[in-house]
Amino acid sequence: MKDIVSVDHLRVEFATDGGTVVGVQDVSFTIAPGETLCVVGESGSGKSVTSLSLMRLVEFGGGTITQGALNFTRADGSTLDVAAASAQVMGQVRGNEIGMIFQEPMTALNPVFTIERQLTDGLMLHKGLSQSEATERALDLLKSVRIPEPEQRLKQYPHELSGGMRQRVVIAMAMACEPKLLIADEPTTALDVTIQAEILALINRLKRENGMAVLFITHDMAVVAQMADRVVVMYQGRIVETGPVAQIFENPREDYTKALLAAVPKLGEMKGKAAPERMRLIGDEAARAAQAPRKPRTAKVLLEVKNLTTRFPVKGGILRRTMAQVHAVEDVSFTINVGETLALVGESGCGKSSCGRSILRLIEPTSGEILINGNDIRALNRPDLRRARADMQMVFQDPFASLNPYRRLRAQVAEPLQNFNLASGADLEARVLDLFDRVRLPRDFMNRFPHELSGGQRQRVAIARALALNPKLIVADEAVSALDVSVQAQVLNLMMELQEDLGLSYLFISHDMAVVERVAHQVGVMYLGRIVEIGPRAAIFDNPSHPYTRSLLSAVPIADPATRRFEGDMNFKPISSPIFPLGHQPAKSQYTQVAPGHFVLQG
Amino acid sequence: MTYVLNRLLSVILTLFLITLVTFAVTNILPGDVAMMIMGTQSNPEALEGLRESLGLNDPLLMQYGHWVWGMFTGEWGNSLIFKKPIAELLLQKAVASGIIVVMSMVIALALAVPLGVWAAVHRDKWQDTVSSSASLLGVSLPDFFWGIVMILVFARWLGWFPSSGFVEPSEDPLGTLQRAFLPSLALGLGLMAHLTRMTRSTMTGILSQEFIRVARAKGLAERTVIWRYALANAIGPVITIAGLQIGYLFGSIIVMESLFGYTGMGWLTYQALLNRDLPLIQSTVFVIAAVVMVTNLLVDLLYVVIDPRIRLG
Repeated sequence: MKDIVSVDHLRVEFATDGGTVVGVQDVSFTIAPGETLCVVGESGSGKSVTSLSLMRLVEFGGGTITQGALNFTRADGSTLDVAAASAQVMGQVRGNEIGMIFQEPMTALNPVFTIERQLTDGLMLHKGLSQSEATERALDLLKSVRIPEPEQRLKQYPHELSGGMRQRVVIAMAMACEPKLLIADEPTTALDVTIQAEILALINRLKRENGMAVLFITHDMAVVAQMADRVVVMYQGRIVETGPVAQIFENPREDYTKALLAAVPKLGEMKGKAAPERMRLIGDEAARAAQAPRKPRTAKVLLEVKNLTTRFPVKGGILRRTMAQVHAVEDVSFTINVGETLALVGESGCGKSSCGRSILRLIEPTSGEILINGNDIRALNRPDLRRARADMQMVFQDPFASLNPYRRLRAQVAEPLQNFNLASGADLEARVLDLFDRVRLPRDFMNRFPHELSGGQRQRVAIARALALNPKLIVADEAVSALDVSVQAQVLNLMMELQEDLGLSYLFISHDMAVVERVAHQVGVMYLGRIVEIGPRAAIFDNPSHPYTRSLLSAVPIADPATRRFEGDMNFKPISSPIFPLGHQPAKSQYTQVAPGHFVLQG
Repeated sequence: MTYVLNRLLSVILTLFLITLVTFAVTNILPGDVAMMIMGTQSNPEALEGLRESLGLNDPLLMQYGHWVWGMFTGEWGNSLIFKKPIAELLLQKAVASGIIVVMSMVIALALAVPLGVWAAVHRDKWQDTVSSSASLLGVSLPDFFWGIVMILVFARWLGWFPSSGFVEPSEDPLGTLQRAFLPSLALGLGLMAHLTRMTRSTMTGILSQEFIRVARAKGLAERTVIWRYALANAIGPVITIAGLQIGYLFGSIIVMESLFGYTGMGWLTYQALLNRDLPLIQSTVFVIAAVVMVTNLLVDLLYVVIDPRIRLG
């Protein structure tokens, strides 16, 4: 059968102030009907530029296709070179013969138009349907993407829908005219893992039912393993390797592919291992060999949290009175030992970040006890709290936002030391130098500004700053989530190395089960503000006992094409609202011990 | 509904504060109303009698109370210079000025929105430079200068419009509009700059959003993407800014109406200030403040209609 798409030596250039930048070059691939081709690569690899070129949308971002052909087989069997097509012809192809889904469901829909209008305008344009015919078809589409109460949704505006539902609407929009090719550009990256599983299963089903080809762009090797028939690996605007999915995963030829695969944590690969282990990084064997056998842990408690509760007021009415409360953290208790990592996992809105911030009193808890070395943090006055915070530092998700763009890195790392009058002059300089060495950043970076660094380097600076005061506890809130997978692996290794050397304890807040399995000693699973299950890592992953933990684990994509999980329809229970009326008295968290140290929430 | 009630409540509170400020300021001003009425050479006993009858010898709080109560019940008193009831005078002039304010706002929006959209679509290209220079030219020269230019070009050289005066709409509606057009155009040019910039910056932000890319990926024509999808999102902030400009407009009409001999609120304010007509000043300031606040309230309510995300909860 004739290929749907045949890309031949594509080259895209961008005109910038600093001259011409090549976005992609020498990119060639084909997609057969009914096939899923995954294009995988890290940020800046040119994978999105490639997909946008196929729609000729790259021009709106300032790019120009300067070379190559993008042959697309149209509905009537003729071949169209998209690169040379007129704007008028592209208007017929876009949305009609090629559908596209984007990354951000929250911003992909026009906030001031109803769902109905956004679903029907393409149908009326391409298929010449009347308003009522288009509305009928829109309703069918919403049903086919399994949106509950589709009739109501048509009249609603995007902000009234959850992220997962919006992404279903976006998919319905892309599928509206029954395209022969669906381009999905990171369609699940911004979604929670259970919603990701649902959306991936949905794309698979629609592909089967309609026999369309899918071009799937992603940075996530685990998603690739789950979705792809064939894989294209891109790096710095070029294709590194291409082949069937099994071959890429089992027998990668190129060093870059091998390195990329090595950096991906694979859920289940830590089975039977007692302690966390650093990631295998290609070319980093020396460092790995140097990993000293771990000192036997002395189970000394550093942080003890008892019945921690944090609620936020929901204000309303004329006098802005508190009408209800968000129960962000509800009766949460745990301990962290010296030199150990407790990971808090859960989906967005489960209260894991609020929990981390409550411990540092960055937000004031409503009740409960927080003891560090037996010292009650909640009882401290302002000056004492300030001193106590030297022992507990925080690393945030977005290192660019957490660093001051106008100050040199030297000053930012030195700042905590100066704040606490711990060093000055030559001593300060020496301490800062030492911190840069610790996080393996070149010393001449001290004179740079944040924008001159890559994401991973910035996160190292943030870690160096957190380390400046020799803290005992670091709260890492999604600290590696925004990083490319190879950089993520390096930063994780750095964090584990620092733990071994300095005896640091981490509260590691993450949504990524595979990463958590790699780094944590203890794991707490959070759902609607409560810990539903907590225990040693092995116990949680080998014997998940709470239904929520089980569904969470079943939704995680595994970086192994032999274990496909998203074939049938998946439907997870939607998370209910943590908002309760004033005076609502929630039940205490009662736990059953299923194994030593392994507790499951009752009820 | 709560939202509307909330806004109404804050309008009433602000109006109350305005009566306080106006009353306080006009009482601090030097000058004696009675002396202004009777002239400086008048008989001291007659002056005292007039003071007594005007209530000027009452305690300040009582005078304030009388005034506010009068405003509330429609007894606004008489203008000292025009010897006419203030309420009647203001109503007549408010209509005249309303025409200018609305017309200049329409002109400003009609110029600024297309210019701003054009600049945003061709961001960092020559069109952008042209648009921003044009709107900068509008704002960098004072209103009265544009007024003089208008008079020279359209009244004197081309002779298309009368250069000054005002006729009652009931007598000659077309004549009213003709006389209002030049001052409105001059004011509109000054307003245009802010609105163009606002349109440009909101449109630039909107055009970089994902839903614009989604709209293009659906195969919609670029015209539809920009003038429907994008502008529907950008128009709210632009109208809000336009609403805030209403206050600035009432300041500008003082000069503009005097320049064009257009006898509206601006002209009336100027006359009142010039002649220390305190009752008239107080009422005029209060009415202008009330109009500005009510327009802003209306604009906010309009925004709610445009943007479904603002809940009326």
